[in-house]
Amino acid sequence: MELIYFQLLAAILFCIGIYGVLARKSAVLILMSIELMLNAVNINLIGYAAFSSLGAAHKNLGQVLVIFIITIAAAELALAMAIILRLYRNKNNVNVDELDILKG
Amino acid sequence: MNFHLIYPEFLLTGLAFLVLTLDFFLPEDRKFLLSWVSSLGMALVIVFALLLYQQGDLYQGLLIIDGYAGFFRIFFLAIGIVITLMSRDFVQSNIGNPGEYYAILIFTVLASISLASSGELLTAYVSLEVLSFGLYVLVAYDRYNPGSNEAGVKFILLGAFSSALILYGLSQTYGLIGTTRLDEIAVLLSSVEDVSIGMLLGLVLILAGIAFKLAAVPFHMWAPDVYEGAPIPITAWLSVCSKIAIVAFAIRFFTTGIFPVVNDWQPILMVLAVLTMVGGNLLALVQKNMKRLLAYSSIGHAGYLLMGLAALVAVTDEGMFNTDFSHLVSNGLIFHMIAYGVTNFAIFYCLILVYNSTGRDDIQGLAGLSSRQPMVALVMVCSLFSLAGLPVFAGFTSKFYLFNAVASQGYLLMVGVAIVASLISLYYYLTVARYLYIEKVLDESIISVSVGSKCILGVLLIFMVVGGIFPSPLMDLIQTATDSVLKVE
Repeated sequence: MELIYFQLLAAILFCIGIYGVLARKSAVLILMSIELMLNAVNINLIGYAAFSSLGAAHKNLGQVLVIFIITIAAAELALAMAIILRLYRNKNNVNVDELDILKG
Repeated sequence: MNFHLIYPEFLLTGLAFLVLTLDFFLPEDRKFLLSWVSSLGMALVIVFALLLYQQGDLYQGLLIIDGYAGFFRIFFLAIGIVITLMSRDFVQSNIGNPGEYYAILIFTVLASISLASSGELLTAYVSLEVLSFGLYVLVAYDRYNPGSNEAGVKFILLGAFSSALILYGLSQTYGLIGTTRLDEIAVLLSSVEDVSIGMLLGLVLILAGIAFKLAAVPFHMWAPDVYEGAPIPITAWLSVCSKIAIVAFAIRFFTTGIFPVVNDWQPILMVLAVLTMVGGNLLALVQKNMKRLLAYSSIGHAGYLLMGLAALVAVTDEGMFNTDFSHLVSNGLIFHMIAYGVTNFAIFYCLILVYNSTGRDDIQGLAGLSSRQPMVALVMVCSLFSLAGLPVFAGFTSKFYLFNAVASQGYLLMVGVAIVASLISLYYYLTVARYLYIEKVLDESIISVSVGSKCILGVLLIFMVVGGIFPSPLMDLIQTATDSVLKVE
């Protein structure tokens, strides 16, 4: 195994995530795509940490970053689902194409 | 550990939980007390922060409490008090649930303070997320209003997307440069011969994330919708607090972190700045809704701030750094942010007062305000002039200072674009002023304003005028703040 495989996997997942954000219509699916992007970041960090040659402190930093990102991503997901649920209660769907009350 | 450095932050956290707890015990007709508790609490924290003020750093440089952080701590607390007082009537009559509202506002103040004092990318990211989480909730706070829901969904989806961009940039920085601390990034970057494409990718993604959060022009699509849908005090808070906090971090990031590769990020920022100044101001010309117009105007102002950020470090023809005028630029940036913040608060407060009694936030609804409520019309027209950059008001002096500083760094073309952009902006600001004073009155109803609200309006007006004609005490404070962050050699 080499570092480049991890970097490639992360980059590909990140791009799939960006594609999902741009192409999906349901707010929940967009949220899933964003989660995919965040997990791509985690894979990238783990890859760098595992192949680090800069000593133990540098290795640990990568793993700490991953734990922080997982935690924040979970909080973000919960908050976004709560706000999307509010939208669903008021409009009975979560299609982002139909969010057109606000326009100039 | 020297935790005494962040006692004010501890107190602020305690205050937020105190407000949340008091909310359980106060009966419904006493909940207005919560706004007093939070504003007096923040005033006490300011006193403590001034008395206990010491410099140093915590956790080996993750949080740097220097003059810069101390300055922004007082500043964010002060604008926190103003926004709390501004939203008092609005929360009571329009959205309810004051406990969570004020507590979350205090958390966003806390996050802005720690963003301005963070000396490391992960700390900055966590603070930025705390700030954004608070804002997501506050934007969607008006639960039964479909506009507020829609704004919340758009804001959180695009905000999460931009955080993912920043994080990918952070992971590239960690992996390829080898550290996330700003001072170490500078050392490592200046020892590298040529920057690899991976590092550049990381840098560009972090810049894109910052541009997203600042609503710079290719990434601005979310801002008008979110600003229009959010409750009005939160629109004011979004356009002032979150922008200033991000620029405060960006100044530190650019001058102590990535200045060795200035040739790589400066052109990007310049293009963003020009697009944002021109685009924001042009799009504002056709707006009918006041909140939407102010959203585009704040995008235009973000363009001036980006111009200042781009000009922080100048490069001479021989490829050397020229930092002779960096002080001027960062002072100008901070002064412009403060003037813009105060002015924006004044104009949004006028809008809140009009909305509280008429329920309208479109420009037509402001027609004839000069006869319906002269005081509000006066403050509103003054803040419009200040935003446009007409003399006497703070907006003129700060714009003059910032443009002058950027010009002395040698970026005349950018300053030229900025001046043209401000000329364009004059048109739509004056259109609103015409509605206030000249346009025929359709709705004769008198807008009643309480004495307390008039006091707040008066204070904001005095600050706008004094900041415009006598800025030197403020400039001295800003100078001591930037001394500690600008150590670029």
